Amino acid sequence: MAKEASPGIQTTTPKPQTSHIPLFFKKLVQQRVLLLMSAPFLIWLFIFKYLPLWGWTIAFQDFKPAKSFSDQKWVGFEHFKMLFQDEKFIQVLRNTLAMSTINLVLGFVTAIVLALLLNELRFVLFKRLVQTVSYLPHFISWVVAANIIATALSPDNGIVNELLMWLGVIKEPILFLGIPEYFWGINGLSEVWKNVGWNTIVYLAAMTMIDPAQYEAAEIDGAGRIQRIWHITLPGIKPVIIVLLIMNIGYLLESGFEPQYLLGNGMNVDYSENLDIFVLKYGIAMGNFSLSVAAGMFKTVISFILLFAANYTAKRMGESRLF
Amino acid sequence: MIKKKRLLLTAMIVAMTAVTACSNNSGTNNNTEAGTNSGGNGNQAATTTEQSKVQEKVTFSVFNAAGAAKDINSNETTIGKLLEEQTGVNFKMEHLVGDINTKIGTMIASNDYPDLLIPDAAIDKVIDAGAFIPLNDLIDKFGPNIKRVYGPYMNQMKAADGNIYFIPFSNVVGEYIPSPSIDQGAFWVQRRVLKEAGYPKIKTLDEYFDMVKNYVEKHKDENLTGFISLTHDWRFFATSNPPMHLAGFPNDGNVTIDMSTFDAKVYADKDSTKKWLQKLNDVNAQGLFDKSSFVDNYDQYLAKLTSGKVVGFFDYGWQVGNATNALKDAGNDDLRYFPLPVTFDANTKDQYLDPPGFTSNRGIGITVSAKDPERIMQFLDNLLTDENQILSNWGIKGETYEVDENGRFYRTEEQIAKIDESFRETFGFKYFEWNWPKYGNGSSLPDGNSVAPGRQAEVFQMSLTEGDKTILEKYGAKTYADLFAAPDDRPWFPAWSFSKEQGSDAQIWETKKDELTKKYFPKLVLAKPEEFESMWTEYLDQFSKLDTAAYEKWTTDEVKKRIELAQTK
Repeated sequence: MAKEASPGIQTTTPKPQTSHIPLFFKKLVQQRVLLLMSAPFLIWLFIFKYLPLWGWTIAFQDFKPAKSFSDQKWVGFEHFKMLFQDEKFIQVLRNTLAMSTINLVLGFVTAIVLALLLNELRFVLFKRLVQTVSYLPHFISWVVAANIIATALSPDNGIVNELLMWLGVIKEPILFLGIPEYFWGINGLSEVWKNVGWNTIVYLAAMTMIDPAQYEAAEIDGAGRIQRIWHITLPGIKPVIIVLLIMNIGYLLESGFEPQYLLGNGMNVDYSENLDIFVLKYGIAMGNFSLSVAAGMFKTVISFILLFAANYTAKRMGESRLF
Repeated sequence: MIKKKRLLLTAMIVAMTAVTACSNNSGTNNNTEAGTNSGGNGNQAATTTEQSKVQEKVTFSVFNAAGAAKDINSNETTIGKLLEEQTGVNFKMEHLVGDINTKIGTMIASNDYPDLLIPDAAIDKVIDAGAFIPLNDLIDKFGPNIKRVYGPYMNQMKAADGNIYFIPFSNVVGEYIPSPSIDQGAFWVQRRVLKEAGYPKIKTLDEYFDMVKNYVEKHKDENLTGFISLTHDWRFFATSNPPMHLAGFPNDGNVTIDMSTFDAKVYADKDSTKKWLQKLNDVNAQGLFDKSSFVDNYDQYLAKLTSGKVVGFFDYGWQVGNATNALKDAGNDDLRYFPLPVTFDANTKDQYLDPPGFTSNRGIGITVSAKDPERIMQFLDNLLTDENQILSNWGIKGETYEVDENGRFYRTEEQIAKIDESFRETFGFKYFEWNWPKYGNGSSLPDGNSVAPGRQAEVFQMSLTEGDKTILEKYGAKTYADLFAAPDDRPWFPAWSFSKEQGSDAQIWETKKDELTKKYFPKLVLAKPEEFESMWTEYLDQFSKLDTAAYEKWTTDEVKKRIELAQTK
């Protein structure tokens, strides 16, 4: 499409531009259909993504839901102070970043490896089967998934403990969810189990875009399977990997809420409590909406910085990027 | 070029549909607005015609965050139908699914409430948001029964600004009848354990755990669990409350209140808690404690109790009802649990039973969204007649209860068998016996009958199984409550029900204290016995960071306020 369209536009553009303004209007008229087409989405974007920003004012008030805007008490940066000065904040931030980094790295590596393996499969029926089985957990709600995980890890008759005992690795059942240091790992592995299949989809799609001629050429040149993966498949999906990576880095402060909330307990709270749970406990559960908004703003600002930093780095390295 | 045109066409279609979709939306919005407007007018019409003595039927909405039940129209139940005939009011009843704070928080954020709201634990939040209308005038005008029933407590019901924002559920009316079964706290043990030990009198915590230990050791091959504890989420109090009971106090929440000075003392950092945790630590070291107690959720806990593999536990009767009822239905008497009033030492008088109390921080209120508060108030007041209290507790004479020649209410065996969970739903007991203004637990009618069938001696005796009778006989008791000491008079009871403002120091103290105990109790119980002392010191060190003195002072003040009110009544 793009190939066809661009020469068309080029031919209709008038010769050397005399001034910028008339050209702008000329283009405006020429591309009016395209503009009209995007208008509904711009309106949608404005209503749902920009208007709610007005709500940020709540962070600077002692917000009481039933009062009108003019009756609210303004407190400046009081809630931000409370947030940053709370001794748990650093711990909560550490847990958030640690868990999302683990999720990011594990998620990427496992999804790419699984996609590469699936791509190499020639027996279609088996490929379909593996795909379906690995997608399935993605559609289970976290409440159910958390119960499955908790049961599997349980010290009484949990399958993991039984297996390890049978193999002779451990002598006594381990209370996995009761050991705080294990939590990040459990959380990371649960995420992988749940989402690995789903995450492969986009890579598999990217792989189908690679020109088969390249593989043929490589084969004639005597490249083996591993070499083909390394020199053709991986470079072929590199742009996709990088764009996804940039986008995910923007979400680094979103380490998820449900698994930590559902698998967390008093014993592992030092490692399981993340920013979202902290906000729930001290903000929403106590009716302190202002604190929740302050935390939300903090997250947005950090995500913004991370996203731009990642994009800039990609640009510097001469890679494809988001914008 | 053809491709391009086709693209444009699709684009146009997309844009068109988007635009029409938008206009459709605004259209429906207008419609719904018009709908609610006309609805409002209709109600106004209803009130005006009401004055001309024509009771037009209306439907109001009520949201109940306190109980789990099927959503239903109240007039689909037998009781609700009769009440509708009396008042013309039907309620669309909705119940909480999921997290209470999220649900109530959403209502507050959108400022859109049902007509009537039972916010349970989120009540402070609702009042704070100004969602309840003041009821003083309405009670004056339409609430003669409310005044009669709540009379002595009217002052306690007032918020700081002098307004009454909600009606608490209950106040005891008439002579107080204690509950014959244990729905409050107790140390429970499987009946087979008592049987094998020859039905000993168990008084102290040491005796209790010795008995549990003996039994588990004798039955090694049965893979038994000695003791488990409930710790999930807000139910953690089942693990943190025992020190209070073991020291001979009823459930006042975070504090024990001295009976001579009326000073409130937090016990979470005192010797009583240390003794309790040390005992659990000890029990754990002997392999009798179920370590997963600290990671299991409520359902897993109930499942374990129902499995028959757990020898003993501490909990409140109402909280384990699902498990104990299932065990009763299963019919194996050996696996059922028996409540014991255990204390630290034999000379302490146990105070497990609740004294008659007035829970002042739970209730039902009319919201700012209510279309017709007057009708609702009339309905609520109408619930509090003797007749309607009999209706919502006993049901219909000849159908769900009988009256003997002395005027005593009782139920026949068939009636008791008939009233199972699904009958309770269709008849409406489930919806009306609790959470509405009512005569409080232990109330009696002028003729001496108990308001609650469960507390009527005739009904209780009838509900006992053979096994129940045998074991009670062995202990020389007629009811389970006979095993426990009678409750002393405590006019402030229960202290956990003192309402706290949103974000107040008392509330924050409670949240932080909960967090601290939830974190350290597992460590203390599961620690190696030789590490217990150092861990306890660490815990005390953390605990000293909380402003406990201020919390104690706040509670003491509230207690004294209530004692004064009780004396002036």
